[in-house]
Amino acid sequence: MKILSLLAGLVFAATAQAQFRLPNIDINKMVDTVKNVGKAVKDIDEPEEIAIGKDVASRLLGAAPLVANPGMQRYVNNVGRWLAVQTERPDLPWQFGVLDSPNVNAFAVPGGTIFITRGLLERMRSEAELAGVLGHEIVHVLRKHHLKAIQKGAQSALAGDAAAAALRDRAGPARDKLIAFSTEMYSRGLDKSDELEADRLGVVIAARGGYDAYGLPSVLQTLQAMNAQDSALALMFKTHPAPAERLDTLSEKMQPVLDAYSSQPQLADRFLRQVKK
Amino acid sequence: MRILALLLLLPLLAAAEPATVIKPAELKQEPASDAATLATLPENTAVDALERKGGWTRVKTSAGEGWVRMLSLRLGGATTPKPGASGLTQAFNVARSGTSGTQTTTGVRGLDAEQIANAQPNPAELAKLEKFAADRDAATSFASQGKLSPTSVAYPK
Repeated sequence: MKILSLLAGLVFAATAQAQFRLPNIDINKMVDTVKNVGKAVKDIDEPEEIAIGKDVASRLLGAAPLVANPGMQRYVNNVGRWLAVQTERPDLPWQFGVLDSPNVNAFAVPGGTIFITRGLLERMRSEAELAGVLGHEIVHVLRKHHLKAIQKGAQSALAGDAAAAALRDRAGPARDKLIAFSTEMYSRGLDKSDELEADRLGVVIAARGGYDAYGLPSVLQTLQAMNAQDSALALMFKTHPAPAERLDTLSEKMQPVLDAYSSQPQLADRFLRQVKK
Repeated sequence: MRILALLLLLPLLAAAEPATVIKPAELKQEPASDAATLATLPENTAVDALERKGGWTRVKTSAGEGWVRMLSLRLGGATTPKPGASGLTQAFNVARSGTSGTQTTTGVRGLDAEQIANAQPNPAELAKLEKFAADRDAATSFASQGKLSPTSVAYPK
């Protein structure tokens, strides 16, 4: 009996000590992490966001150049800029580019640069579909989805001081590392919740621009019908929720908006004239 | 002569896509929920999708032609999509990248995970990208040419 109570006492003491000690360590560590991330978030102002974006855009263009079709490039810029004007960040230096790759994908870079691949553009049927996809990418920029992921990642990829230096100085090895890390993020993707948010808000932005709101669901349906084993889809499917899940979520959350703006123009003829010649 | 006939058929074939009903759907006479219902299509009905109008897709079924809600369909047939459909697209893409002149290396896709991770800066292409940007005024007149009217739509909560 004595031994039992002694044991119980020991266990209690150990537990009490553990309860006392562990939370302190964790909380301190947590406070530090939050402070660092919070500081980095504050450190990146809009000019810096744009500067990082240009460096990342240059690297993505190193992976695939622009399609050599100025008319097509200007057309996509007009559609994209018109949509961006309808948002809370209308005056970023928005620029849109069609990358010469048969892969099916699109990318949003902090500061207002958006890429879409030739492979995705060729599978679309109308300007409303293009607007749906550009709307989705514009949301990533508006909500700083990639920038936040870069900030989080920079904290762990680079030591605290190096991260600060990489953000402060626009040249040097720390900066190169930050940009390389930021570019690599496009091969890993964002959180699923960011992608689903970009779908919901992207539909709204296309509708604000005066387009048939069903453009994005229509593209998702096209992707769903493609052979999932097609290597042109590999990266997009790896970095995004499955089209079926994205369509279900839109149908569940956005049906009223979709239906309210479903009779706006699709502009299929203008799209085909500019893209399919 | 045979080839000519085949070519003439192509646009028709491209317009009809096999699709499957993924949840029970009313077949409507017009693309509207208050239009007359012609039939109710059960799950897994195979149809041919002909065109889309807003949230509605015109389909051909054994019960006749009509409109169903676009989101009650999955394009691409009853099981997995036919390999032939994307095979054709792939052949088309190979042909296209062969003549584009910018990507001459065979087998280079350019935007696989590994190629993105190892990409080096391309300032010349970045300069081109900036040159193609549209300003607000240009985009606004482009929109009015297309008869697009800006609409006020709130973000969902």
